[in-house]
Formats: sequence, C-alpha cells, structure tokens
Amino acid sequence: MTDYSLFLGCIVPNRYPGIESATKMVFNKLGVGLKDMLGASCCPAPGVVGSFSEETWLTVAARNLAIAEENHADVVTLCNGCFGTLFEANSTLKNEEEARKAVNMFLSKTGKRYKGSVEVHHFAKLIYEKHLDQVKQLGGQSLTGVKIAVHYGCHLLRPRTLKKIDNPEKPGFVDELVHSLGAESVDYRDKHMCCGAGGGVRSSNLEVALDMTREKLENIRASQADCILNVCAFCHLQFDRGQRELAEKMGLEYNIPVVHLSQLLGLAFGLNPRLLGLQAHAISTQPFLRKLAEVSSR
Amino acid sequence: MKGEPLKEPPKEPVKVGVFICHCGSNIAGTVDVKALAEFAGGLPGVEFSTHYVYLCSDPGQGLIKESVKRLGLNRVVVAACSPRMHEETFRRTVREAGLNPYLLEVANIREQCSWVHMNQKEAATEKAKALVAAAVVKSLYNEPLEPLTLGVEKSVLVVGGGVAGIQASIDLADQGFKVYLVEKQPSIGGHMAQLDKTFPTLDCSSCILTPKMVEASRHENIELLTYSEVKSVEGHVGSFEVTVLKKPRYIREDLCRACGICAEKCPIKVPSEFDMGLGERKAIYIPFPQAVPLKYTIDPAHCLYHTKGVCRVCEKFCPEKAVDFDQKPVEVKLKVGAIILATGYDLYDCSQKYEYGYGRYRNVITNLEFERMVSASGPTSGQIIRPSDRKSPRRVAFLQCVGSRDVNSNKYCSRICCMASVKQAHQVKEKDPSSDVVIFYTDLRCFGKGYEEFLERVQGEGIKVVRGRVAEVVEDASGNLRLRYENTYLGEVFEEEFDLVVLAAGLIPSDIKELRTILKLSTTPDGFLAEAHPKLRPVETFTEGIYVCGAAQGPKDIPDTVAQASAAASRASALLAEGMVSIEPITAEVDEDRCGGCGLCVQACFFNAIELEVKEGKRKAKVNQVLCKGCGVCGATCPSGAVKMRHFTDEQLRGEVEAILSTVRR
Repeated sequence: MTDYSLFLGCIVPNRYPGIESATKMVFNKLGVGLKDMLGASCCPAPGVVGSFSEETWLTVAARNLAIAEENHADVVTLCNGCFGTLFEANSTLKNEEEARKAVNMFLSKTGKRYKGSVEVHHFAKLIYEKHLDQVKQLGGQSLTGVKIAVHYGCHLLRPRTLKKIDNPEKPGFVDELVHSLGAESVDYRDKHMCCGAGGGVRSSNLEVALDMTREKLENIRASQADCILNVCAFCHLQFDRGQRELAEKMGLEYNIPVVHLSQLLGLAFGLNPRLLGLQAHAISTQPFLRKLAEVSSR
Repeated sequence: MKGEPLKEPPKEPVKVGVFICHCGSNIAGTVDVKALAEFAGGLPGVEFSTHYVYLCSDPGQGLIKESVKRLGLNRVVVAACSPRMHEETFRRTVREAGLNPYLLEVANIREQCSWVHMNQKEAATEKAKALVAAAVVKSLYNEPLEPLTLGVEKSVLVVGGGVAGIQASIDLADQGFKVYLVEKQPSIGGHMAQLDKTFPTLDCSSCILTPKMVEASRHENIELLTYSEVKSVEGHVGSFEVTVLKKPRYIREDLCRACGICAEKCPIKVPSEFDMGLGERKAIYIPFPQAVPLKYTIDPAHCLYHTKGVCRVCEKFCPEKAVDFDQKPVEVKLKVGAIILATGYDLYDCSQKYEYGYGRYRNVITNLEFERMVSASGPTSGQIIRPSDRKSPRRVAFLQCVGSRDVNSNKYCSRICCMASVKQAHQVKEKDPSSDVVIFYTDLRCFGKGYEEFLERVQGEGIKVVRGRVAEVVEDASGNLRLRYENTYLGEVFEEEFDLVVLAAGLIPSDIKELRTILKLSTTPDGFLAEAHPKLRPVETFTEGIYVCGAAQGPKDIPDTVAQASAAASRASALLAEGMVSIEPITAEVDEDRCGGCGLCVQACFFNAIELEVKEGKRKAKVNQVLCKGCGVCGATCPSGAVKMRHFTDEQLRGEVEAILSTVRR
C-alpha cells in the first residue's frame, strides 16, 4: 500500500488537533500509511503570504515539498489552503525551470533541494478516488436519516484549469461520499459561496469575513441541516469559531455543529467521538452526536 | 528514402528558366531578388534567370511565355508566393507557352520566407537561395502528367432540409438539375420554421419560409426524402453512389390526407420537439401545421402499439386506411454528381452552465423556447408567460453568450444571439410597454445590414442594455430570479430580481459524426465543417464534389445562410453543367515487380483508394487514380519501396533536401 506524507499545516495542530487524530485513525482503517513531515512549516497561506511575495511563498512551499520528497511519499493535505499552495507551487516548480532554479538557490542554504518527485493530493479527493468502496464497506449506511450541509470551499476547486478536480460551479464528489454513507446532502442557497475566511480576509477584515459567514449560516439554517460538513481546516475554523464570534459581537446564535470530513468518516466507521476531537469545538457537536445516536437506534 | 543511389535526371537536354517575383515589396522588401536571380543563374541546368515586380500580372506571365519560346526552356521555376495561391495561374501560363503544366515548380519565398523573416534580410536571402535551389533540382525530375477526365451525373444530393438545403435545392432544380433533398425529421423547414419573426425586418418567419417549403415539395426536379438518413456514400466526384434509409412513418404517404382524426383519437401525449417541450403532441403527429410533406408520422418510441402491443385506435379511425403498422425501413439508392451538406446546428446545452440554473429553474428559458412562446401558432398562442405560474413576466432579462465566447465552453461567437435577443426584447416591450427589459451583453455585435439601426430603434423603446456577464442566477421560493452581475462600465456589482430569464444559447454543430465518417470530412477546431479555403473556396470541402453551406459550416444568420446556400448551388451547378471533371494526376502508382502484396498501404490509405488484386496468383496493390488524393501516406508506409508518388518521387524529395543542405552549408 502506498504511503503518504501527511501535511498538517498550522490550523490542524494549533487549533483542531482532533482533525489530525481523526485523519490518522481513518487512514489506518482504510489501510493507508501516513508519514509525518518532520520540520514542515506553514504551507504558507496562499492569500496572506502569496499576495505579498510570490518568491517567499514559492520558496517556503518548495521546502515543504522537499521534506515530502525526502519521505519518498506524495503529500496529502487536510486544508484547502495548504492544498492550494502546495499543489499550485508544485505545478509552477515542475513547469518553470527558472522558478525551480531560483528556489533551489535559496533552499541550498538549508541543505534542502526541490526535485519535483512528488504529487500533492487533497485528502477528500484521494479518499473519493481510491477508497470509495472501502468507505462504503466500513461505514455502511450508518448515516441514514442525517441531513448534511456540504461546504467545498474555494481553493480546492479553483482555478479550475489548474486543479481539474471537479466542475467548480457544480462539484459533486463530497456529496457523493456523504450519500454513500446513507446521509442526505441538502441543497442550500449559495452553497458554493466562500466561508469568509480565505484570501487573507479573516486576518485583514474580520467584520467582512464574519458577514459572509453569517450569510452562509443563514442559508444553511434554512436547509435544516444537522451539521456543516467541510473538507478544509480553515473553513472549519471559520464556521466553528465564527459562530462564537457572531454570537459575541452581534448576538447572533446559530449553534450549527461543524464537522470535518475526517471526523465524519471516523463517526461512520464507529470511532470514539472523543478521539476524533469532537468535544473540543467552539460550537457543541452534541446535538449532532445525539442525532446520530437517534438514527442508529432506529 | 530507401538509401539507394539517386536515379539520374532525364537525359534530354534540360533547360530551366527561373523567374523571381518581387510581389511588390512583399518579397523584394526583404529578399535581395537581384542577388537571388544571379545565384539561380549559376545552378546546374538553369538556362535563364530573371526577376520581375509582379509575375502574376499579365506582363509578368507574358515574360515567362516569351522566355520559354525564345530560349526553348523546358522547365519553369517560379519563386513567388505559396503554390496554394498561384500554382494554378502559372500552370496555365506554362501550358500557354506550349509546355506540359506539370513541368512547373513553385518555390514559396513569400509565406515561407520573406513574411516570416522580415527583420533578417540577409538570412532571408540565403534561405530564399536554398528554396530556389531545391525547386530547381526538383524541376529536373518533373515529368509531363495528363489529368484524368470523368463524366458527371447531372444530379445532386442535398443533406438537410432547413432553409439552406431548401434554397440550394431550388436553385439547382431551377437550372434543370435533379435534386434529392434528404431530411431526417418528418418535415422540412429546420430551425427557421420554429421562429416567430426574423430580425431586423420583423418579417414573419413562416410567411417567408413556408412558400419555399411548398415550392421545394412541388418542384418537378426535386425529390423530397423526409424522415430519411444517409447511410452510405461510395464513389467520387461526378459519380457518388448514395444509400438513403427511409424510416417507416407507419403511414402510407399516398393515402394520408392529414385530416387529423388519428391524432385526435390517439391517447398518448408527448412533449413536442418542435415546441421545445413547451407544448405537447400525440404519438401520431405532424410536427407543426405547415409541415411539408403534410403527412402524419407514428413515433414508435411512444406509440402504445409499438411499446405494449395494444391500441391501434388510429388505424381504426383513419378514414383513408392510411395507417400501416407493417411498414419497414426502405433503402433508396441514388447516383449523384455532387453533394451539398446543409446539416445546420443544434443549441448549446445550457444546463452545462450550472450557475444559470437552466433545467433547474423553471423560469430560465432559451431564445428558441421564447421564440415558440411568442409565436402566434405556438403552445401559448403568442402569450409571453413564466412557465412556473403562467403569469406575464414584468421584468425580463436576456443573458448573452451562453455557450459562446467562453473559454469554458465554446470560444467562438455564435453570431445570431445578439440580434435574436434584441428582437425578442422588442417583442416583450411590444406586448407590454410598461415591462422592464434588460440585455446583459459581452459586446453587442449588430454587424449586418440594418442591424445597428434596429438596435438603436429598440433602445429607443426603453430596453436597457448592460455590459456585463451575469455571474449567477439564484431562484427564490416564488420562482423569481436574482441575477448577480458586474456592470463593467461602472465597475460595480449588483443583484437584481427578474421574473423571466432568457438565455442566448450558442450554436453548436449538428450531431453528424456518422455522416462525417462516411464522407471523411474534416472540421475546424470549433467542430463545424471545414471549408477548403476561408476566403476563396468558402463552400467547397476538401473533397471534390462535396459542398457545404449554412450553419453546418459555422454559426450564421438567415441572410448569410441563404447567400451561402446559393453559392454552394452555383459551385455545384458549374461542375454539373461542365459535364466533365478533370482530376489532378499527382497520384500514387505501384511498381508491381516490387509489391509484395502485404496490404499495409490498403490499411493506411485514408481515401479507400487502394485495393489488393490477384495477378498471376500473386496479390498486388492497385491504386484507384480517381480516388487517390496524392497524400503520400502509402508511399511512406510501403516496406518495399514499391509505391511511387508522381511529382513527389523519392529522387525529387532527396534532391530537394540535398540542395537545401548544400546551399545552407556554403
């Protein structure tokens, strides 16, 4: 079985370590080995760093890719931002000799070298493409009766000509994963709108970011979904902590549980919710866990 | 190139004349033509060389003729523009000088030299020398060739019964040629029959088309083959053998009077294709009241007798006993001299633009659906309604370039949609002057005669035009549609509500993959049929005797379609009237002593021009000189060097390469 280099990024280890443990347990169940990336840094963030200095962005990304190359294992990411940066940087570096030379000149000071020998995968797409049958086998129809609001996020699918993952206007593979476990993926207004966090918006203008989050939450609430399902640690943070921030700043209460796909798969595979870190969210996941208990007792 | 020594050039005394054209400053501005003429004069075999300002002009051609006669030249090399441009011209010149036209050789020193090396005069001159040296060597081996001549059948197959096919058929039939007009639908008329009014004159489409449909059906020289498809085509220019499959209508056309009792009694309702699914038809139907021929058809996919083996109500009630469930498909064999393709277009599938909601939101429709709605004989009797609640829309938006001018779907402009939407916007205003109508456009391309004036008139009626591509359409519970867009003149983003959204769906080529395979036709990158030359041979295809017109060749409006149909008919009639066709003798021939009969060339030939025949117990390849296009694939494929390409022999090609290399090395 192929092993992958697990790229954690910043948000997973610092804010939601449950996503890391959920991922490791789920991949273990799927029989896929994960190697830690020793010394890996921030990806770095495509909006915040990439907008200011492309050279810095590319060099730091190349250093992370070089670590995966030392592992001799392709990269798998848990966050759309990390995926966007590492995938796009890898593609630039593979295709543009001058960029590769410049980056390797900087990297030589650290004893590292980018060769272009690994690919970058997003965990959700990887599981969908290579392990859908196993997911069905391990998870069965355990989520039957649950309504899920799927959120894809931006950097996963765009730019479409580069990523070529799915139609960004009408993606379907995460919905299909959800369906395969028996759950209903609800349609909601502006489903493919941004969560509000990316592109440096959360860092530079929290008010604007939260207003976008608010609009998404309104639409998701109208769909009566039991949870928001995301495939990106940054979207996860924005929906989860964003709800607390909206409550504190504007008195708006939504209390919609937020679940990362690694956590949902863990639940479907019958793993302990505590080990998946579901107790450590800003917004309580208890209503969702109760709903799961309810449908499974039926 | 089999690595054998070159054959010696012919022993007769060869006298080459080299003529270098300035093409005004096109060539002479870059290439030193004087130095080139001097260089050519020193090449082996060259008797005479000169340069002239315009060789293609009358005095230029006179110079060639006079020199050939005066000096007894027997090979002519013209260094000028591409042979695609003037090879024919200079072949005529050479023939008029008393030589076989195939003793001419053209060196392309314009497209392949001066135009691409404008800023490198010295290098361009050196390259021109190499090209001329190659042409001179090749000309030494040129042999006289005689074109084949063939008789031409005085009849034409027209495929497609839309306005293009109808026009081409009538034009040819009026000149006395027999025309077979094949249409796959039960009626001729095509998309034009679906339109209400036509831009910019607002003539009623039916009023101008229906008389033509009737004329086509009554013309003594036109045989209509409706509900039929071309199955196979064999043969070549002047003599195509065509098999047409006539699908069973399950109605005897000779008996049906189209009284309509059958349809009244038929219990099965199906969405009408003609009405774009906005109305219904029965399983026994005529597509529309003005159909030609006006004969009923049973749709076997929905007829109860065909699907479940019961009913036959139509048969019981038909007063003429015209229903015949035992009808079988019939093959019709035709022999024609030429073929005109007028296969038209289909609409881009707007549901692929998910963000506009077509197919999901009921009040998002296409231009063609609007056309059926606004037609007095359409499913709503001319009322413009919202499909969701049948109310009259007060706010109507037209979205341009859906499936056109878009890197994610089709890059080309569909050419008719700007005017179609402007006309339809006018029709909304005409019915309800207080309504709000907005056209969201990329560029409003109103290029034809009277089009810009029409736009100005319609804008005067209060239609709003906004430059900006709508980003997405969102439906609310009442079926209203919110449009998000940027007004690119203001640089501001807006969200605005409408009752009805009309998508200007782009045009895509009709699905004619099978026909294209049968006829071996090529397409341009956009998928439409390729013309032989975009400017000078706009209705010919690359296959002689096959012509194309209308939207099959590219999106176009009715005036352009009709003009092109007449052009195709005119080119076809020139061929038929001549009665003879001569075929380029630059073809392959097989040296039977060398041929091992392996058959690789037969498989490689794109034109089915090679067959294996048994001679004295041995298999030998034989080239059909009529079908052979001289492409050379067989020559490159043959493992034993048995195929000789006339005019492009191994000696000639090797000679050219060696001449170029030795010139460049110096």
